[in-house]
Amino acid sequence: MTTLTPTRPPGDPGGPGTPGSPETPGGVPRRPRRGTASRAQRTEAAALVIPATLPILVFSVIPLVTGIYLGFTNSTLRRNSTSEFTGLENYSRLLGDTFFWESFRIGLIWAVSVALLTLVAALGLALLLNADLKFKGITRVLALIPWAMPPVVVAIVWRLIYSPTAGPLNAGLEAVGLEGVNWLGDFSTALPAVIVVAVWSGIPQSTVLLLAGMQQIPIEQHEAAAVDGASSLRRFWHITLPALRPVIFAITSLDFIWSFNSFGLVYVLTEGGPGGKTMLPMLFTYLEAFTNRNTGYAAAMGNVMVLAVVLVLSGYLFVQLRRGKAVQS
Amino acid sequence: MITRNPLARAGQYVALAAYLVFLGFPLLWLLSTSLKSSGEINSLAVNLIPEQFAWGNYPQALDRQNLIRSAGNSLLVSVVTMVVTTLVSMPAAYALARFRGKLRAAGTAWILVSQVFPAILLIIPLFIVLRTLQLNDTMFGLILVYVTFTLPFTLWMLQGYVAAIPRDLEEAGSMDGATRFTVLRLIVFPLLVPGLVATAMFTFVAAWNEFFLALVLIQSPELYTLPLTLRTFIGLEGQTQLGPLAAGAVLATIPSLVIFGLLQRRLTSGSLAGAVKG
Amino acid sequence: MIRNRGAAVVAGAFALTLALSACQQGSSTSGEGGGGDGGSSAADGDAVTLTFQSLAGQEATIAETQRLVDEWNTANPDVQVEIVPAAWDGVYDKLVTQFNGGSAPDVIHFEAAGIRPFAVDGYLADLTDYISEDLRSGISDGVWESVTVDDAIVAYPTMMQSYMVFANTDLLEAAGVEVPTGDTMTWDQLREIARATTRDGVYGLGWGLKSPTATVMSLGLGNDGTFFSGEGTDVEIEVGDAELAVPLAINEMATTDASIQPVSLTQSGSEVLPSFYGGQVAMTVQGSFQATNIAADAPEGFNWTVLPPLEGSASSAQSANPQTFSVNVDSEHVEESAAFIEYLMEPENLAALNYADALIPTSEQAREALAGLTADQPGWDQILASGENLTAPAFLKVDLYQQWNETVATPALQRYLAGEIDLEALRSEMTDGWSQVNRG
Repeated sequence: MTTLTPTRPPGDPGGPGTPGSPETPGGVPRRPRRGTASRAQRTEAAALVIPATLPILVFSVIPLVTGIYLGFTNSTLRRNSTSEFTGLENYSRLLGDTFFWESFRIGLIWAVSVALLTLVAALGLALLLNADLKFKGITRVLALIPWAMPPVVVAIVWRLIYSPTAGPLNAGLEAVGLEGVNWLGDFSTALPAVIVVAVWSGIPQSTVLLLAGMQQIPIEQHEAAAVDGASSLRRFWHITLPALRPVIFAITSLDFIWSFNSFGLVYVLTEGGPGGKTMLPMLFTYLEAFTNRNTGYAAAMGNVMVLAVVLVLSGYLFVQLRRGKAVQS
Repeated sequence: MITRNPLARAGQYVALAAYLVFLGFPLLWLLSTSLKSSGEINSLAVNLIPEQFAWGNYPQALDRQNLIRSAGNSLLVSVVTMVVTTLVSMPAAYALARFRGKLRAAGTAWILVSQVFPAILLIIPLFIVLRTLQLNDTMFGLILVYVTFTLPFTLWMLQGYVAAIPRDLEEAGSMDGATRFTVLRLIVFPLLVPGLVATAMFTFVAAWNEFFLALVLIQSPELYTLPLTLRTFIGLEGQTQLGPLAAGAVLATIPSLVIFGLLQRRLTSGSLAGAVKG
Repeated sequence: MIRNRGAAVVAGAFALTLALSACQQGSSTSGEGGGGDGGSSAADGDAVTLTFQSLAGQEATIAETQRLVDEWNTANPDVQVEIVPAAWDGVYDKLVTQFNGGSAPDVIHFEAAGIRPFAVDGYLADLTDYISEDLRSGISDGVWESVTVDDAIVAYPTMMQSYMVFANTDLLEAAGVEVPTGDTMTWDQLREIARATTRDGVYGLGWGLKSPTATVMSLGLGNDGTFFSGEGTDVEIEVGDAELAVPLAINEMATTDASIQPVSLTQSGSEVLPSFYGGQVAMTVQGSFQATNIAADAPEGFNWTVLPPLEGSASSAQSANPQTFSVNVDSEHVEESAAFIEYLMEPENLAALNYADALIPTSEQAREALAGLTADQPGWDQILASGENLTAPAFLKVDLYQQWNETVATPALQRYLAGEIDLEALRSEMTDGWSQVNRG
């Protein structure tokens, strides 16, 4: 991670260092910037960080380590059950678990589609919001709606919209003479339909971040290019997109991780059905842990999921870095 | 982008309208359903404007299944999470921004790692840890977990705000003989307030909307948070009363919606740039 | 300015303390709700408070449960019962965490098919010695068998549902179909009526099979399709023609005859009801409990009836998978809890609960009481008649049934009904899936 240098701090358009704030004593001679990191300073840092470190240790680091370890045991949620270290037994069993790999495959399709489609949709919206259009204020408010909705509510809303008998979507289709579709019930449409919902709820966040990135591109670049006669498409391709590359990388990576690990939306929307067509790995693992009560085996699945995410991300990062170099040279 | 071609302009407006319908219609439909009588819903007629406004769905939703109690639970959990997270992360964010070196590397690494691990891997041991601490199925336990899980994001945002405060100001303060704590309190904190407010609001929304951790860690129906209770409204084989369900869903959305309304200028004015650039 | 800030800090700290103490209170009440220490409540001296987690979901049942509990609380000042309302949806997972986290209530409402794993684990108290003689003889041995684990009775069976065919009499009439009146109705008859009433955009049958396993397992008994043999962990699965007769029949009606509304196959029972009210389907197969909802929600002038129970190739038997009341083994008041359940099981009380939910009481005495209550109400003669055919199915004795149901049978049946796989594939998925589930 590089140094964070926000142009101005979020939340205060004026900037905190505005001259005239009462505490600013002007013209005081400066001390040398970075003194030797003294012992005192280290103690001070520790004191500042401890309140945050404590909950993180107890409720995040310890559980995480325990969770990884559980994946190598036969622990269960049965009464008075004892758990033993079983080494790689869970994993050899997992190799032959066709249900898990099917859910894994669905999870990958889902996460990649959600990440890419969200990016494309958000990029379009961000460009429109960045263009000098009317009604900017109200559109920006409306565009944030999906972000504000709790996932459970999102699922409830879209169940209503996708309803095969009383949903507005099918009513709309039938009004223009098309046949209604059983969106969440039909095997071929269930996964795409759920992906659309995830994209819908992910658009605002990505749009906001892309918008922020766009507003950092110096307007002179665009103007100079426009004077040179470059079309808006070319300007987008040669100025906007390259400048946004780091943002795009961050957004797609995060969206991929979050989608792959997401639970609430699909749990309420389809519960993995029909016929397991939307059984994301998180759902499958949840069932293994809290219905089948095989927590050790479920933790092993969790470990495999982490491994997969890390692999995909490293691959993506590698490609990204190489492309970055190619552009620079 | 600057487009002067009127035809392209019109195209942009059409596209924008399409986006707005896509993003906004679901909320509209939820509102509409929340105002329909069960007779109208059962008749399978599809109207955006209800034939008759059935305001009764709202009191009915509040009456049923202890929606009010759940809302109270959610409010308690979210507010306390917000306050505690903010208090705890403020000094840590300051340290992350100001003390470079190992601490910062470790902090950043943890923030990243915490994003990669699926909640399912954490939830099983978390359940066991809370059980051991006798905090399973308590609001207090849930709050502690929420604080922990909102910390990465909060720390990340806050340290961005801290980094934006010029060091000179602090150093000037130190020269006057003030202790570090005094400098923090008198100089850094006031400048940080706008950022704190924004971060706190995000934390509130995160806790208010959360579903999965509550699903596993809260078992007694009287301690259910709003998302848990709403889900039990849906039912599988039981009778689904869509009107009150939609009304409950609308009520659950209002707090987050209000907060996002308040934050929207900050969100869309490009001020998050710092957080993205990192 | 500085002073103001100081005040703000103090105010903030104060608010935090308040909020935290509120949490503490919240957690201590929940502790009381937990079975482990659901002990004496300070307010009433040495009165005992029992928590009763009820799954009652329909307005009438909720009200009836509340009335009975109030009555009990008035009559028993020493043993106060507090209802903890919960929902059927996801209740199995909830119970797993409740028991494991030590937060389970004293009295637990569930069903025979789901309660077994908890009994096997030892979470449920042995109620054998608390059950009164009258009740023992009033409930059939088969039904008692369904709640017996390792020779211990772990639950009181309370209410049973059977699957019934509800019909829109106007649509049947319009299609020139006579409403069958016999004691039972064969599958061929059902198929015939469905075919005859499928016309003018109306489907003969709407069948909510989003969760198809319970229906298939239950109606399968009529063909002697038992799926399982053995008990506990020593279980064999058999998916033969008898077991597959029901899915096959449904599939033929859906595809060959096109007399089942396709959308309904992916909906839950309740979701199909609007189509039934709206005259888009002439008949619908539902749990008997929907009789209450239909009576309440059907539009005015909607004429409906309940058709005779379905008869398979062997009998008109259906699975008895009774709802149950159990007692948490960790409860400090097992005896009081059992006494409270005994009270709920008294004939008129059990009849009242069943009436509210349109279900069939497990005990003969309560069935008689209910027959008196409902002498001239539509559908009830058929509902009670179908109760005669309920027998304890083999799957209730299988420890891993719930797992097989959720992770294997349900998705496989959904795939079959959607035409994704054929009957042979369904057979092998169900058997292979069992060996994966049963591997441990």
